[in-house]
Amino acid sequence: MSEPILMANDLTKSFGETQAVKGISLQVARGEVFGLLGPNGAGKTTTISMLTGLLEPTSGSITVDGLDVKRHTNEVKAKMGLVPQELALYPTLSARQNLLFFGRIYGLKGKELHQRVDEVLEMIGLTERANDPIQDYSGGMKRRVNIGAGLLHKPEILFLDEPTVGVDPQSRNAIFESVEALNRNGMSVIYTTHYMEEAQRLCHRVAIVDTGELIALDTPTALIRSLGGGIIVIGLAEGYPDEIVDEVAQLPAVKAATRSDGQLKVETLRLQEALIGVLDITNGQDIRITSLELLEPNLESVFLHLTGKKLRE
Amino acid sequence: MKILSIGWKDIQIFVRDRGGMITSFLLPMLFIVVFSYAFSGIASTDEVITLPVVNLDGGEVSAALIEGVNNVAGVETEMYDEADARARIEGEQLQYALFIPAGFSDGVAAGESMTLVLLSGPNADGANVEAMRTVVDGVSKDLSLQTQLLAGFRQMGQMMQASEAEGVFTSDLAVAQAQSQFERAKTAPLVGIEQKTPDAILQEREEFSAVGLSVPGATVLFVFVMASTTAMSLYSEKKTGTFRRLLAAPLAKAELLGGKMLPGFVIILVQIAVIFAASILLLPLIGLDRLYLGNDLLGLVLLSMLVALCSTSLGLLIAAIARTESQINGISVVAMWVMGAVSGAFVPTFFLGDFLGTIGKITPQYWAVSAYTAFFVRGQTLADVGTQMAILAGFTLVFFAIGLWRFKFE
Repeated sequence: MSEPILMANDLTKSFGETQAVKGISLQVARGEVFGLLGPNGAGKTTTISMLTGLLEPTSGSITVDGLDVKRHTNEVKAKMGLVPQELALYPTLSARQNLLFFGRIYGLKGKELHQRVDEVLEMIGLTERANDPIQDYSGGMKRRVNIGAGLLHKPEILFLDEPTVGVDPQSRNAIFESVEALNRNGMSVIYTTHYMEEAQRLCHRVAIVDTGELIALDTPTALIRSLGGGIIVIGLAEGYPDEIVDEVAQLPAVKAATRSDGQLKVETLRLQEALIGVLDITNGQDIRITSLELLEPNLESVFLHLTGKKLRE
Repeated sequence: MKILSIGWKDIQIFVRDRGGMITSFLLPMLFIVVFSYAFSGIASTDEVITLPVVNLDGGEVSAALIEGVNNVAGVETEMYDEADARARIEGEQLQYALFIPAGFSDGVAAGESMTLVLLSGPNADGANVEAMRTVVDGVSKDLSLQTQLLAGFRQMGQMMQASEAEGVFTSDLAVAQAQSQFERAKTAPLVGIEQKTPDAILQEREEFSAVGLSVPGATVLFVFVMASTTAMSLYSEKKTGTFRRLLAAPLAKAELLGGKMLPGFVIILVQIAVIFAASILLLPLIGLDRLYLGNDLLGLVLLSMLVALCSTSLGLLIAAIARTESQINGISVVAMWVMGAVSGAFVPTFFLGDFLGTIGKITPQYWAVSAYTAFFVRGQTLADVGTQMAILAGFTLVFFAIGLWRFKFE
C-alpha cells in the first residue's frame, strides 16, 4: 500500500479563547477523493487553511508527499492546488489574463504557460469567452475559472473548498464531472461541502466534522450502513412508561431504542417493519404520539444521529 | 520575477480603472491650471505698491521726499487730503498712509529734527507696513543728509563772508557747487556700486512664476493620493480572496508584498513624469508659464523616486491599520487632503500663517513640496535639499516599518 499523499496529525487551531479545530487527524490516500462534510462553522475551512499552509496550526503536524509543511513550505505548495470558496479572481481581467497570472505565480512561463492556459480553458469549456472580462461571466462560468486557476500547475492534490455554493444545477453537475475526470487521471482531491449528496456522489471516504472535531470517518456506504435501516424519531406524550423503550428495543426489526428529551429514538434494521411494530405498541397502550420523523439512511441522517443537528439549518 | 508578475497584473487592473486614471493624471493638471491662474497675481513682477500720502507741508523738502519715494522701483505715491485719508484708514479702505506734517520742509531746512507719521489701520498687513516704512526711511535719510550738508556749506560761506575775506568763494557759490556735486553723485558717483546677482538667484527671479508655485503642490498632493490606491489594492486583494489564493501558492510573503507595492511606485513615477511634461508642453498653450525644471535633473529624479517610495509605504501603513473600506477612505482623507492642506500642497505656506505653517512640518508632503520648490523656483540642487530628503527618507522608513509590523497576512 503506497504512503498517503497527505497526513495530518492531531491538528488544533485556536483564535484567542476560541478553539476552532480540536485535534483532527486524517490521512488521504493517493488518488482518493476525500470529503470533509459538516455544517457552516464546523471548522472545515480552518482545517483546509492549515492543510494548505495558509494558517499555522496551534499544534499538530502535516506532511504532504512525505514533506513537512512547515519546513518545506514552498515545495509542498507547489504540489497543491487550492480552489477557494470565494471567487478568487480579478474581475476586470479576462479569464485568459487571470490564468496567465496564476500560472506565472506557480512558475510556469513562456510557451509552456500559454499552452497550459489553453488546455485549462478547453477543460473548463471557456475557450470562446477567454478574452472577456470575468465580471461579464455568469456565476457558473466564474466558478469554472476559479477551478481552472487551481489546476494550471497540475497539482498532485487539489483542495476544493465548497466549490458549488451559489451555483446553478447545470454548472454544479459540470463541476462534479470535472472532479470525477480529474480523479480518474490520478489526482487526489480533498473536497469540503455541507451538501450530503455531493459527498455521497464524489467521495471515496468522508470525514464528518462538527464544532472543530472529527466525529466520524469512513466510506459513505459504511457510514450510512451504521444507521441500519434508518432511524425513527417519535415524540410521545408526557408520562409514558419507561417499559415502552424496552418493549420497542425487543422488536425484531429494531437495532436499539433510546429515550431522550421526551422523544423515542429507534435505530432500525428494517425501517417499515420497525415502524409498524412501534405503532402497535403505542396504540396498544393508548399512548398519544406528538411527532414522528423517519430518517432514511443517508449522510444527513448520520450527521443528525451523531450530533443531534442538521447539516443545513 | 513573481514580484514583476504581481506588479504587472496590478498595473493592468489600474489601467482599466477609468476613475483611477482620471484622478491620477487629469485632476492634477486641472488643479495646476486653476491654481496657476489664481497665483498669477502674486507671482507677477510688474506689481506696483501704492503709498498713500497726506502732505500737510507743501514745501520743497516734502516735495523732494515724495519724488524720492516715487523713484523707488515698484512704489508710487497717491495724494490724499487728511480727512479723507483718516476716514479711509478707519473704514479699512486703506491699510496705511504717510502723513507729512506742516512745517516739515522749514524744519528740516533749519536743521530741526522732524517726524514723519506712517499711520496704519486695523487691517494693515505687517509686512507691507514695514516695507513702506523702510522705503520712506531710506529716502528721508538721503534727503536729510543732503539737506544737512547743504546747510553746512551755507554756514561755512556765511562765516567766510563775516570775516570779510573777499573772494570768489561765496556761500551761494558753495551751495551751488555742492548741489551740482549731489546731482553728479546721483548720475556719475565717484564710488559706484554695481550690484551683481548670482545666476541661480537671477534664474529664480526669472522663473518665480505661478506655475512654479502650483506644480510642486499639485504633484505632491496627487502623488500621496496614490497611497490610498495602494491601500485599497491590498484591501481588495484580501476581500476578494485572491490574497488567500496567492498565499497558498509557492510565493514568499516578501514577494507578495513587494509585488503589491511595486505598481504604486511605478505608477507614481509615471504620474510625476506626465505632470511635469504637461506643465512644460501644454501650459504655455493656455497662456501660462512653462514649468522650469531647475538645474539638477538627476536630483529631481532621485527626489521623485523618494517621494514615490514614501507614498507607497504610506499605502502599506494604511492597509495595515484599516480594517474596512470606509476606514481606508477615512484615513486617506486625513492623510492626503488634511495633511496636504497644511503642508503647502494646496497653497504656498506663506498663506497659512505661523501656526498652520508649523504644523505642516510634521507631514511628509511639506518636505516634498519644499524640495520641489527648491528645484523649480530657487534653481537649487540635490545638495541643497539634503534636509528635506533625509526627513522624507525618515518618513518612508517609519511608514514601511510600522506597516510591515502591523500587516496581517492571515
